[in-house]
Amino acid sequence: MGNRMMRRHTPATIFMHWFNAACWIFLLATGIGLIKNDDLQPIGGWYADLMRSIFGGGANLLLAHEICGVIWAAGFLIFGLVGIRKYVIPFVREIATFSPSRDLMWLVTKGIQMTLGHKALATIARRFGFAARIPDQGFYNTGQKLFAVPSLLGGVVIAVTGVIMMLSTSVITDPTIVQWSILIHFVTVGLVFAGLLIHIYMASIAAGERPAFISMFTGTVPEDYAEHHHKLWYDEVTAASGKEASG
Amino acid sequence: MMKTQLAMVIDSSKCIDCKACTVACKVENQVPEGHWRNWVKHAEPDADRLARGGKDTAGHFQPGACMHCEEPTCVRACPTGATYKDEADGSIRVDSALCIGCGSCIPACPYGARYRHPEKKIVDKCDYCSARRARGELPACVVTCPTKARTFGNLHDPKSEAAILMAANSTVRVANPESDTRPNMYYIGATAPLNWPVKAQFPAPISIWAKLAKPLIWGAVGLNALGVLVMLGKQVLMADDAPEAEDPENQKEATHG
Repeated sequence: MGNRMMRRHTPATIFMHWFNAACWIFLLATGIGLIKNDDLQPIGGWYADLMRSIFGGGANLLLAHEICGVIWAAGFLIFGLVGIRKYVIPFVREIATFSPSRDLMWLVTKGIQMTLGHKALATIARRFGFAARIPDQGFYNTGQKLFAVPSLLGGVVIAVTGVIMMLSTSVITDPTIVQWSILIHFVTVGLVFAGLLIHIYMASIAAGERPAFISMFTGTVPEDYAEHHHKLWYDEVTAASGKEASG
Repeated sequence: MMKTQLAMVIDSSKCIDCKACTVACKVENQVPEGHWRNWVKHAEPDADRLARGGKDTAGHFQPGACMHCEEPTCVRACPTGATYKDEADGSIRVDSALCIGCGSCIPACPYGARYRHPEKKIVDKCDYCSARRARGELPACVVTCPTKARTFGNLHDPKSEAAILMAANSTVRVANPESDTRPNMYYIGATAPLNWPVKAQFPAPISIWAKLAKPLIWGAVGLNALGVLVMLGKQVLMADDAPEAEDPENQKEATHG
């Protein structure tokens, strides 16, 4: 087996990933700053004051958050509409496919290996009578899928509740739906952010994941990395290219 | 204590319920039809007592408006800080550019001093006629009152009319005993009604956010941060961690790891 590079991401998906990341950083920073209420503010009043100082008042902060939010939602809307066949449907199919044996066992084995190490995994596996082997994974592993599903659904919820809040001062007569939207917006962002901590750790710090991080810039991963981390995807791609070569 | 605390001192016994103050306010502030920034409340005479020829049977008129409270529940209900207590003059103001019109503050005011503007769709209420004050004039309701029931001024300036009235008379505040917001509206002598019947109410999403959502999000973020720390600790402490050699399948992985 050689160590050639194989394509994992297209320039479009790489762009959308970093576009999403940049928008998230800005929207998270401004959004938390918009909560100026000691009972509701999760970090502290000083943060809301700091963001207002940077942006020159709460009204500007709100405007900046709204403009960036619209750009973020519109960017994904356009990407989703243009790339529905090429990207959206395959992505949704990929992240929404769970197999109990493969994915549950991945959670158990990978969870033990990441926290206690391979030795502990072997010991525990022997003790409880399961294979110490981490199950083969597809294009995304179980952990990636478990983050992708709430990210996608959460993104939709965040965008919809954001639009409701923006429409509040123009078309909404009964603001009860706006009050609930603010709460749902906050909770959804908070939960996705919690998952984001793991995503960032895995991508930038975790051992052995460097090729995945680099592929978010270059679009390609080494073949041996693909075979080790995403065996089912690797097999699928090599089988398909083999067919192409012979046919 | 704030340097300036604007307040209204009201002699409700002088009020004749002519409602000139409410009209002047509506004209000055272009308050839309069906909404009011100020009011005159009625204490109805007790019909039973009246029939028995008892005491304290008179009706009473009580002028009011936003009370620019010391402990404003509306400010605590506002998520964005659009409703705030102005540090410069102690009045409660609404930043119209920051208000997203969620209306959370409306039930949080026990006095019903706030409404959602039907066209602007943001919250509006008494601001002591800030445009008039900027020109050095008194609020419209104060100037208009023919019996001078309403007096306006800085309570911390002993030479202001309001402070002089406060010093010379005993005053009461109209408040709900269960949600006393410590209003900056003082009534000379006695007034009726004295015990405000309405309690401050926070909308359910605001209460849920403060009591449930905030700890929930901190819990979720904290748990995942802990998970990251554990994985990081394992990565640092077990740098040479590799699959056990006896399993040929795992040995293959080790060479790739």
